[in-house]
Amino acid sequence: MAHDAHHAEAHGHAHWDTSIYPFIISFGILALAVAFSFKFVYHNSFAAILSMGIGFPLIIAGIAGWTSEAMGKGEGLSYGAMGWFILAEAMIFVSFFVSYWYTKLHVDVWPPAGNIELPRIMPLVMTFILVASSLTIHYAEHLLHLGNKGGFKTWYLITIVLGACFLGMSVYEWSHLIHQGFTISTNAFSTIFFSVTGLHGSHVVVGLAIFLAGLPSVLRGDVDEGFMRTAGLYWHFVDIIWFFVVSQVYYW
Amino acid sequence: MKGKRMHDTIKRAAAGLAALFLTVPAWAAGGAKAAAATPDPARDWDLLWNEVIFDITIIGILFAIVTAWFIWQARRRPGNEVGASVPLSPASAVGWVVIPIFVFLSIDLYTAANGWVLWNTFRDVPANRMEIKLEAGMYSWDYTYPNGVRTQNELVVPAGTPIVLRMTSRDTLHSHYIPDFRVKEDSMPGRITYLWFNPTKPGEHIVTCAEYCGVMHGYMAGRIIVKAPEEYAAWMKGEETRLAALTAPEPAPAAKPAKPAAKKT
Amino acid sequence: MNLKEWIFTTDHKRVGVLYLIGSIAAFAVAGIMALLMRAELSTIGPTITANPTQYNVWLYTHGAVMILGFQIPALTGFFANYCIPLMIGAKDVAFPRVNALSVWLFYVGVILALLTFFIPDPPDVMWTGYPPYSTITTGNTAMYSFTVLILGFASIIGGVNFLTTVAYMRAPGITLNKLNIFVWCTLAAFVLQLIFVPVLGTAVSLISMDKYLGTNFFDPTKGGDVLTYQNLFWFYSHPAVYVIFLPFIGVVYEIIAAHAKNMVFNYKMVVYGGVGGIVLLAGEVWVHHLYVSGMADWLRIGQMVTTLMISIPVGLMMIGLIGTLYKGSIAFTTPMLYALGVVFLFLIGGLTGIPLAVPSLTIGVSDTYYVVGHFHYVMAVAGTFAIFGGVYHWFPKMTGKMYNEFWGKLGFWITFVGVNIVFWIMMDVGVKGMPRRYYDYAHFPQFEGAHQWMTVGAAILAVGFTIAILNWILGAINGKPAGDNPWGSPSLEWTTVSPPPHGNWPSPPSVSEDWHPYGFKKG
Ligand code: HEA
Ligand code: HEA
Ligand code: CUA
Ligand SMILES: [Cu+2]
Repeated sequence: MAHDAHHAEAHGHAHWDTSIYPFIISFGILALAVAFSFKFVYHNSFAAILSMGIGFPLIIAGIAGWTSEAMGKGEGLSYGAMGWFILAEAMIFVSFFVSYWYTKLHVDVWPPAGNIELPRIMPLVMTFILVASSLTIHYAEHLLHLGNKGGFKTWYLITIVLGACFLGMSVYEWSHLIHQGFTISTNAFSTIFFSVTGLHGSHVVVGLAIFLAGLPSVLRGDVDEGFMRTAGLYWHFVDIIWFFVVSQVYYW
Repeated sequence: MKGKRMHDTIKRAAAGLAALFLTVPAWAAGGAKAAAATPDPARDWDLLWNEVIFDITIIGILFAIVTAWFIWQARRRPGNEVGASVPLSPASAVGWVVIPIFVFLSIDLYTAANGWVLWNTFRDVPANRMEIKLEAGMYSWDYTYPNGVRTQNELVVPAGTPIVLRMTSRDTLHSHYIPDFRVKEDSMPGRITYLWFNPTKPGEHIVTCAEYCGVMHGYMAGRIIVKAPEEYAAWMKGEETRLAALTAPEPAPAAKPAKPAAKKT
Repeated sequence: MNLKEWIFTTDHKRVGVLYLIGSIAAFAVAGIMALLMRAELSTIGPTITANPTQYNVWLYTHGAVMILGFQIPALTGFFANYCIPLMIGAKDVAFPRVNALSVWLFYVGVILALLTFFIPDPPDVMWTGYPPYSTITTGNTAMYSFTVLILGFASIIGGVNFLTTVAYMRAPGITLNKLNIFVWCTLAAFVLQLIFVPVLGTAVSLISMDKYLGTNFFDPTKGGDVLTYQNLFWFYSHPAVYVIFLPFIGVVYEIIAAHAKNMVFNYKMVVYGGVGGIVLLAGEVWVHHLYVSGMADWLRIGQMVTTLMISIPVGLMMIGLIGTLYKGSIAFTTPMLYALGVVFLFLIGGLTGIPLAVPSLTIGVSDTYYVVGHFHYVMAVAGTFAIFGGVYHWFPKMTGKMYNEFWGKLGFWITFVGVNIVFWIMMDVGVKGMPRRYYDYAHFPQFEGAHQWMTVGAAILAVGFTIAILNWILGAINGKPAGDNPWGSPSLEWTTVSPPPHGNWPSPPSVSEDWHPYGFKKG
């Protein structure tokens, strides 16, 4: 684990592992939380930008340091842990859907005033792309398992591209809707629509970020199979959630 | 009430189970059913409350006595430096699960059945009621009588008539709590809730707010004034004339703004 | 001592100690808030502040910090960190860095909560944060949301970490039926956290989104519904009480078994019936906090039955505890006094939950001091006693030194007297109609005497807690050496030296076939 930095003092008294990055990330998060208050509660944009300027670099430095410290050291239990983490993540979506149903099923008129026609074709295309990306990453993992690193690299890259396409289409669609005057504050349905698709989109972003974090090692050719399996598992989860998003907010 | 027969059956079954363990005072069990005419939820509440408190006291004392006895018996003494419990036989291990479950479950179901009966008393509004609308707001209770008379923080009602409040709120949550009648229910924007109580004899009762609603939550209080029916009629007459005087000459003076349409129920 | 090795540590024991320091500090701050509240309530009308908002801010910090900053971190942070790897014979947790992240996020959350005292327009939304008030108040609701979010996130990653640790890192020979009860309880608590914290996180995010970002989740004029929030909030916050209850009763099991030197009574009943039953039922009872909030009638009635049924697994756990005393060899040490205190006081608290479980009875007492009395007995009294007893119990392991028995017992008895004065009277005035969250009770003059007694009781119990905390501090500095296993317990954490080194054992411990954490032997 974090031994290496301490070899020098390892003799004599027993030494204790340390890592500075968790500490840094935590305080970066504190700065972001404070920034939100500055901006939205005290309407002080300058202070908000200032504390974001502290928070983001801290978090990024923390994550970068952390990955370089831990990557390849094979914290090999991450696959199992990801399962638990996904359970927690899934519950966030469950909460949103339940709020949605609870609100919708209790009123007499739905949707509330101010709605517009949602596109019907676009979400199908997006579904297709996301499912395809789930298949490609699965295939990539399969190739990696067989030892075919070149093939793995290709399909890995294709997955990233598909994910990026999906994101691009989401952004396009959002801006299109917002242009038509359908925004997050239009009514309760628009609120649900944007927050659920936004939440899902943020998970796509995280999934892509994980893939990108692994990209350097993929290009170098020394991939960590455990890491890839974990990343793939997360990506499948993002995919499955999308089915719920599509069926609930677009077609029901 | 259609559920009535069913829950009586359930209640009888559960009571039978519970009797295995607890002999519950008969006066309390009968309490919920006794009232024939207009039920009196406040009195029924007291009966059931006392019964449940009695039951849990018994359970608590039983457990506490056993614990105290074990502690005393098992204090560390010479010759007793290590505990001497022996592993349970499989049969008694299972027995120690099944029997407590059975006993606890019967107490639970018995309590639930009694609670259900009382619940129906609280929720089934008698037919001879008077309907009053209540809009709560920071920080007042605004009542509207069926004939349009309005009062604030003071609800005058005739003794002997069940009163139903149809409640909503114009801002935050509030809860119309009348300790003397053992009732409360929240009010909130966008939904209509109700509660009813039975003012049996003339007197005054405090209304207080039981849901945190803002800075002055602790000061949000009012009164229920129960008058004898004749006095009530006289009071109402006076209010009606006042209302007529206010509204008759010009239809739209800015004295009191009309209530928003959303609250027609 | 090397400060850097403490602050940046990834070792589970030191992370645990950081959790302990933080949560006890949070307890002291929130406790002082309670004392201020009690002082304010000692007379009708303004007593020590003329500003109701000031009181509301104290109450908000008291509730939120006591639950999210003291009990949950002390139980699932400190005890879990310190004890679980030692009890299962692991050299650390699965992800030491994630563990460090979780403790520092906890500190960040507590810092956010305490910023309340320094910012303009502090949050005054109570620990429940119900809209619409939370979305229209001038107070800083964002602070509330972020405090909860960050503490919740800290706890989720902690949960992922420990579930993985126990699943994969048990020493050879430690089968599922040889786990300490505490380990079982804490695992169950973490499962609950993983399932339910995200719901809480969503709930509190939604109020800030409504307030600051213009969404309409709770705005009925735009089609939203205010009750959505209460459902989401309690869908977490009821299971949260078992996130507190399970580990603390687990601690009590450890203490009672060790100081009565006795086998836990009917281990499988406790684990599968008690712990398992609670996990199964915990998610189906949240509506009992919404009995008077306008929920559909069928939900209120349905959840009355599930709520009452919670008494079954909890009752089994009580039977297990009491059975463990039977034929034991009880030493009345300080930790044991606290643990026995929990048995009696939890009975009071748990049983007073029974009338609350019945909606028709709740109509009369919901949102009164009766409820406040109920949950202080279960949580503030039983929970805090378990935590204090647990700290005393593992104190020799953590420091290698012994606390002072005399002051320990004295502190216990003073607190014991104090809590019963405060919280018993609370239930009594509650039944008579005293509503909670009142800065002033001008229209209930009849309760002034009772409130004064409660204030006196609070002063008494504060003395008791202060003695305990001082006892730890002084004991850690210059207590007598305690030895590795002062209680003579076979549980694995006592087989290493005190305090354990990094890595816990020179080589991974192995246990024999007939070993059991509660297999006390003569001699
Ligand atoms: C650790 C914390 C903890 C624990 C363990 C419990 C345990 C229980 N609680 Fe409590 N509760 C809270 C913390 C806790 N509670 C808090 C914080 C609040 C208020 C929050 C707020 O509004 O701010 C609250 C509020 C609260 C309410 C809402 C009141 C209201 O706001 O109107 C209700 C209603 O049902 C309730 C019920 C129960 C029940 C039935 C149990 C049961 O689990 C108790 C079970 C235990 C026993 C029954 C005793 C032992 C068993 C036996 C001896 C067996 C035999 C007994 C029988 C068969 C009856 N609690
Ligand atoms: C675990 C949780 C917990 C704990 C331990 C406590 C502990 C206490 N609580 Fe509280 N309480 C809550 C959880 C808790 N509470 C919650 C959730 C609410 C509801 C909030 C809401 O409505 O939103 C509440 C509400 C609440 C109220 C209701 C107020 C109202 O509704 O208006 C009151 C009133 O008396 C009260 C009192 C107390 C008292 C006197 C203690 C005492 O036990 C406190 C004792 C502790 C101390 C006095 C600190 C001692 C330590 C020191 C002094 C430091 C010494 C330091 C060194 C030596 C370094 N609490
Ligand atoms: Cu209105 Cu509290
Ligand atoms: Cu609950």
